[in-house]
Amino acid sequence: MTDQDKKGFVPGLLKGMGTTARAMTRHAHTQEYPDVSPQLPPRSRGVIALEESNCTSCMLCARECPDWCIYIDSHKETVPPTTEGGRERKENVLDRFAIDFSLCMYCGICIEVCPFDALFWSPEFEYAETDIRDLLHEKDRLGQWMATVPAPPALDQGAPVDQPEPTESAPSEPQPAQAPDEDPAP
Amino acid sequence: MTTRELTVGVGAGELATADMVLNIGPQHPATHGVLRLRVTLDGERISRAEPIVGYMHRGAEKLFEVRDYRQIMVLANRHDWLSAFSSEVGLALTVERMLGMEVPVRATWTRTLLSELNRVLNHLMFLGSYPLELGAITPIFYSFREREELQTVMEEISGGRMHYMFNRVGGLREDIPAGWLQRVQAAIDGVRARMPELESLLVGNEILQARTRGVGVLTAEAVASYGVSGPIARASGLDVDLRRDQPYLAYDELFAPGGPGRVVTRQAGDCLARLEVLLEQTHVGLDLAQACVERLLAMPAGPVNLKLPKVLKVPEGSDYVATENPLGFNGYYLVSRGDKTPWRLALRSASFNNVAVLAELLPGNLLADMVAILGSMFFVVGDIDK
Amino acid sequence: MTTDLPLPRVGPAQVAAPKPMRLVLNWGRRYSLWVFNFGLACCAIEFIAASMARHDFIRLGVIPFAPGPRQADLMVVSGTVTDKMAPAIRRLYDQMPEPKYVISFGACSNSGGPYWDSYCVTKGVDQLIPVDVYVPGCPPRPEALLQGILTLQDRIASERPSHASLREKLGPYAGRRASAAEVSRPLVAPPEAGT
Repeated sequence: MTDQDKKGFVPGLLKGMGTTARAMTRHAHTQEYPDVSPQLPPRSRGVIALEESNCTSCMLCARECPDWCIYIDSHKETVPPTTEGGRERKENVLDRFAIDFSLCMYCGICIEVCPFDALFWSPEFEYAETDIRDLLHEKDRLGQWMATVPAPPALDQGAPVDQPEPTESAPSEPQPAQAPDEDPAP
Repeated sequence: MTTRELTVGVGAGELATADMVLNIGPQHPATHGVLRLRVTLDGERISRAEPIVGYMHRGAEKLFEVRDYRQIMVLANRHDWLSAFSSEVGLALTVERMLGMEVPVRATWTRTLLSELNRVLNHLMFLGSYPLELGAITPIFYSFREREELQTVMEEISGGRMHYMFNRVGGLREDIPAGWLQRVQAAIDGVRARMPELESLLVGNEILQARTRGVGVLTAEAVASYGVSGPIARASGLDVDLRRDQPYLAYDELFAPGGPGRVVTRQAGDCLARLEVLLEQTHVGLDLAQACVERLLAMPAGPVNLKLPKVLKVPEGSDYVATENPLGFNGYYLVSRGDKTPWRLALRSASFNNVAVLAELLPGNLLADMVAILGSMFFVVGDIDK
Repeated sequence: MTTDLPLPRVGPAQVAAPKPMRLVLNWGRRYSLWVFNFGLACCAIEFIAASMARHDFIRLGVIPFAPGPRQADLMVVSGTVTDKMAPAIRRLYDQMPEPKYVISFGACSNSGGPYWDSYCVTKGVDQLIPVDVYVPGCPPRPEALLQGILTLQDRIASERPSHASLREKLGPYAGRRASAAEVSRPLVAPPEAGT
């Protein structure tokens, strides 16, 4: 850019006008947000959705959350045996599942550790509130976000084929049935 | 100063020699972030300057001690919010080295690619904000257009625009989405094609040159004695870059002779030199990212992460890993007592040293040049205060 | 409001204004929000991104050229509020003229966010000043700020300024120990240099 020094006032002015003229012919890259909703990638971390039927209230997400903003209440219910003479089973019933989005750091650890695929990212971001208490999304509200969850993107050809989701431990692994009995303190 | 006396004063006598103390910040439109400077002025000239830090101190090091290694990653990228990925990588490398973990080669190259994209993002921010501090509004619009392009591809792979949370101990969180590498390539090409426009607004602008050339000259001795690193140190002629001198990730290959990596240095040490280093590093960063994309496209299939044990415990001991973050050396000193959480994780951040040198750099300069010098130190307040 | 300062008053004409007049006044208020960016941390970068050409909140009538708090209508607190910073935030808020609005942008200013268990972080800017809209995210996308602004504009549109509404908004902050003396206390002095 040293040749700039040699230029006089008029060429510099013309060059500037030329740039302006060129810019005038181009489209602005402004996204008209409220009118045009943005195209967000499926991995975009907007809000966490809960598939309630998958949740076994194992508390893994609540324990692994880096700022502990997930609240889970559950109780055990005894299910009568399905077949004659069978054993009755104990089952966890989810009473409350709430995420405090005023605290949430949107790191995705809860989704990653969930062994039963009950939590998903949704790219939705439009949930600013006028009262901070409304940022605590209870399970009904979290369940509503499920409708907005996109399908995960196809992976690059370099990805190993045998493990579709390498980070997640397979659901078949011995896991959480007894997890709630453990101390829930992190 | 001692010889100067005014005899025109009425009543109080020598009224003009009183020094004036000026507080700039913590919230001031001319400084980005909440750095506070206490400047003592003798007329228009700065006789003493003292950066006062701590307005952004969040005690992250203490919080590290009660979080496990995956959770720490979340906090580790937030001290320097413009180089989130590089900070994440640094921590992951520290833990991996203490565990003796061998990270898959595909993960290493992807990390390198993302680090370089992050470096470009960081530099673009400063290339936009520095002229803004000097009074030129236009460049920031150009640089943010490029930032948005790159943030789009970063968001596509990681899901986040600033805090990627994409590193895990042992690799990356998820694999690369299909077609992402081509889109990165397109974004790099686009940014490269438009860079000359931004460049001509910066170093091609004679007003900017006039305000920065010869202003705030930082000597190599001051750089060494204050531990200044990164582009600022290199602008004063210090040829140091951990990517080349202490290679981590895939940098030994990239910085090998004939590779795309090169260390940008300048001798002048003034504000313009610092800006030039930043500008050229942006180009080098794009070259390196390009090389990583090519390499990843040609690479055989492989995993991007390792299977971790349920409970990750780092063996007893300590280690220090420094990485070349966009703003300078970023080091993690990890002391483990074999627990799930570190016993102590100390952070060496680049901006702290880079800002400390202001006390030496500012005295003798005019107040009008203060903003030019301050802006050219390229700091992030969270990186100073942690 | 600080205890030593009187609560701001609403003029009689404003209270008595008929509905059409109020509509016009509110319409004027909602589309000329001169914004004062209290940029503190990561979220400030997303705030800047929202003001740039890609997202461009000037389209929504938010004008980021307020020279200082005294000329601003809207304060966007974006980033971690530390206890050391808190008096400055309160002081700048008190300098803004009524009617004034606050958007808390991001997890840190909503509730302390990732640093809620830190020893030096204020757990939410609403402990210091009344907040009108909370934008969640860490950091929120620029579009999320735009949506927060739209939420605020809806709120302004339905606003009816009166003594009662002001008292309701500012009252909880008036009796707090954040007295005028405390808010204007000198900022913490740095340690003396050893040399």
